[in-house]
Amino acid sequence: MPKLILRYIRAVEAMNRVIGRFAMYLIFALIAVLLWSSVSKTFFNPSLWTLEMAQFIMVAYYILGGPYSMQMGSNVRMDLFYGGWTTRTKAFVDAFTVLFLMTYLGILLYGAVSSMAYSLGYFGLEPFSFFGDIIVAFFTEGPSAAWGKIGYIERSSTAWRPYLWPVKSILCFGVFLMLLQCLAELFRDIGRLRGVEI
Amino acid sequence: MPYELIAVVMFAGMMLMLMTGQRVFGAIGFVGAVAGMLLWGTGGVEIPFAASMKLMKWYPLLTLPMFIFMGYVLSESKIADDLYRMFHVWMGPVQGGLAIGTIGLMVLVSAMNGLSVAGMAIGATIALPELLRRGYDKILVTGTIQAGSSLGILVPPSVVLVLYAMIARQPVGQLWLAGVVPGLLMATMFIIYIYIRAKMQPDLGPAMSHEELAEYDEISTHPLRLNFIVLAGIVLVPLLVKFDVIAPKSAIGFALGAAVLGFATRAMPLFYRDVFLKEKHRLLFSGVLPLAIFATMMVPFVNGWTSLVESSAIGAMTAFIAAILKGRMNKAVFETTVRSTLGISCMFMWIILAALGFGAIFDGLGAVKAIEDLFTAQLGLSPWMILILMQLSFIVMGTFLDDTAMLVIVAPLYVPLVGALGFDLIWYGVLYTITTQIAYMTPPFGYNLFLMRAMAPPEIGLKDIYISIIPFAAVMVVALALIMAFPQIALWLPDLVYGR
Amino acid sequence: QSTIKWRMQTYAGTALAEHVVKPAIDMFNQIAGDRMQIELFYADQLVPTGELFRAMQRGTIDAVQSDDDSMASPTEVTVFGGYFPFGSRYSLDVPVLFNQYGLNEIWDEEYSKVGVKHISAGAWDPCHFATKDPIRSLADLKGKRVFTFPTAGRFLSQFGVVPVTLPWEDIEVALQTGELDGVAWSGITEDYTVGWADVTNYFLTNNISGAWAGSFFANQGRWNELPEDLQTLFRVCCDQSHYYRQWWYWGGEASLRVNGPKMELTSIPDAEWKTVEDAAVKFWDEIAAESPTKAKVVEIFKKYNADMQKAGRPYRYG
Ligand code: NA
Ligand code: NA
Repeated sequence: MPKLILRYIRAVEAMNRVIGRFAMYLIFALIAVLLWSSVSKTFFNPSLWTLEMAQFIMVAYYILGGPYSMQMGSNVRMDLFYGGWTTRTKAFVDAFTVLFLMTYLGILLYGAVSSMAYSLGYFGLEPFSFFGDIIVAFFTEGPSAAWGKIGYIERSSTAWRPYLWPVKSILCFGVFLMLLQCLAELFRDIGRLRGVEI
Repeated sequence: MPYELIAVVMFAGMMLMLMTGQRVFGAIGFVGAVAGMLLWGTGGVEIPFAASMKLMKWYPLLTLPMFIFMGYVLSESKIADDLYRMFHVWMGPVQGGLAIGTIGLMVLVSAMNGLSVAGMAIGATIALPELLRRGYDKILVTGTIQAGSSLGILVPPSVVLVLYAMIARQPVGQLWLAGVVPGLLMATMFIIYIYIRAKMQPDLGPAMSHEELAEYDEISTHPLRLNFIVLAGIVLVPLLVKFDVIAPKSAIGFALGAAVLGFATRAMPLFYRDVFLKEKHRLLFSGVLPLAIFATMMVPFVNGWTSLVESSAIGAMTAFIAAILKGRMNKAVFETTVRSTLGISCMFMWIILAALGFGAIFDGLGAVKAIEDLFTAQLGLSPWMILILMQLSFIVMGTFLDDTAMLVIVAPLYVPLVGALGFDLIWYGVLYTITTQIAYMTPPFGYNLFLMRAMAPPEIGLKDIYISIIPFAAVMVVALALIMAFPQIALWLPDLVYGR
Repeated sequence: QSTIKWRMQTYAGTALAEHVVKPAIDMFNQIAGDRMQIELFYADQLVPTGELFRAMQRGTIDAVQSDDDSMASPTEVTVFGGYFPFGSRYSLDVPVLFNQYGLNEIWDEEYSKVGVKHISAGAWDPCHFATKDPIRSLADLKGKRVFTFPTAGRFLSQFGVVPVTLPWEDIEVALQTGELDGVAWSGITEDYTVGWADVTNYFLTNNISGAWAGSFFANQGRWNELPEDLQTLFRVCCDQSHYYRQWWYWGGEASLRVNGPKMELTSIPDAEWKTVEDAAVKFWDEIAAESPTKAKVVEIFKKYNADMQKAGRPYRYG
């Protein structure tokens, strides 16, 4: 395998591992928020933010933990036929079908970026060029010009009214990491077909 | 494209993709997303992501990682070991007693976690090797563990019933209670079956001799550690509530406080005392533990003091503290527990995400209407016929579709129809759960079968696993028929508690 | 020529939609026949209600029935949709405000800016509390977790209410699982229609708004593509829906208070409730200070209520 590809696999998997292991401990943040919710409800005034906060943590938990869970092989497959194949056949079929998985993630990513752009007040149909414009404006005309491109900032329709761009950016980032991980899997399978175990 | 054709194409596409062995969420997500892109029209490409917002707002899903965490705390920290030995000692002298005890163990494990995976893991790692060593028949043992672990989603807490509750818009509390009696009924029927089999063929499950049990009649070297603060909490809190000194709701806070103090003082001799009982009695005492965990979660929930998701967090915390207090939460156990919880939670969440997107696109393209139309108008069947047909289709689909995906994709099609036909949706939730359990353990393929194969020692072959399940699946079908014929088996307890 | 197909999603669940939107859509489909068919979807069915606006703007969904507040529309008028505290007393106030006091024009202008067609607004029911425990004084409101509209929630939190927003279809279950202590979302007609009367015990007769304001919207592009007669037909059917709700709620509220067996009525004395009404005046000024458009709408609400006061009985008593 070319060195570059090996380096890519190592770098992506190391990064996803670190991020995934961070996400792994969010389970305790989730427990803490929910416990606080029951304690505050019992002894003080119930908190306004606990349920939504727990939902945001949950999103970060499974989205950022997704690539790491893929590394661990946690995602089930229907192995009726798959289970009986040789490693080589598996690699061959996987190298092909992982493209379908990447198509799904690509569509998911497009939706995420588009929704993220909406949460920053962009109502058009080209979310990528919206972010492109912001970045260009930032480097050519400075931060205030970039800020000027941002419109109505979306807030959750609850009484707590948190901004939604933070959770949406986590979603964008997590889906992107999943794509990187899938690409690494694809390289691995191609390696296996050529007889190299990475 | 006509609606019927869309329904057929999407379902067939999903089946085909699943057969390739690609990850389930990828297969389902891909078919949904591509159908959305090609057939929806403007904006169809956004729906797979909109599903992630839907998933975020589905608040009972917060219980999923909690119950998975609880399950792993139990199986990894081996606090179920003592439970197993308790049944071992007390049931061992009976013909087939260890297998019967395994069912009992599974009932208790089911009361402490929401999935069947934990039961399977505990059964396969603790009970299975022990039973084989004692000369039990491997087919009987394998079947017992698979059947027993299926109780995990019927006895509360149950993740499957939470998901069902969300789809059917039915109260989780009532569904959970509805699962209790059928779960116990099924456990009893399993026990009766094992007992009769072992009586007829004693070599399937030899009774343990007195010599084998002798060690348990000695004074145990493992003391029972009594923490005074925890004990005082157990005695005082209910009394204070009873005499109106503290409000019932505040009891949660006091109980939590007692637990935290108990944890903080676990190594200070002033606060605890070690009691040395006969091993046999010490084990019986440790059987109280799961009931305590079950109670800290269910009592505040059923009384409405804490909400469902809060209760699940209390349950997760209690299990975690219990493992620490028993001295079983070391670094390796902690690592495995937290990591496996992430892995399994991610598996579930990504499947649900993909399935929600698939479902919305399937629905928006009119395929749902096509299926409803097929059942109600075109086939011209009676309500009972439709119900039985649905159950059969679950068994067929359960052979290729993952259980979570099936719940998220198929249940939204069927449940409104069941309601429209005039059936009770709480009762149907129980039928649904048992049916899917049968589907996952029946050959040629099923989720539980795969799990068992992965966990079983090499001397148990695929053929053994397939054969082992037949009698137990038959027992479950009988239980299912009983509950269909007598809905009160399921509905009696929720009616009693909630006065429906 | 092939049939035009629209997907429409309402904020309402199936049981409520049976009255607040389905008759009008059925009528539209029957009249339009092969020329156009609208498929109706219910609360959170295709996309969650919080994403409704975005989905319509993007064209994922062609038309929407909702209030501005629930679907979190990114406009200046969002706070006034749904229940604007004490903005109206009777359900007839809403169409008068929109048709005779200039709200239609403001709404049209605001939604044109964001690529959405505001078709028309109509009135729903008043906003009352339905709770598990009785409310007889303002102190009883303290610490209650209540499902309500975002703006109403912001307003009510000063009285110790904890506003919770959940998917609409989950409310009945949430009341049973302890997630909620009550709802401040509707009048008694909806409490009975959607099943909340089965899981709550008390109905507070004081309300924080006499009528809900909700609208029909469409994706601007899809609306422009319609031939003029179908646009007119759609408007007529929306008006039919507004009319149906006008009598369905008005009669239902009275009838269920008098004859309904499931909920016990309680009241907070008028003198004490005056505190809440006074707080609303302050709340209006806070909202008006946020932007010129909001100030303009608040001005209209003030003028309208002053006119009604001057007109005397039967418009306002006392
Ligand atoms: Na369980
Ligand atoms: Na309403």
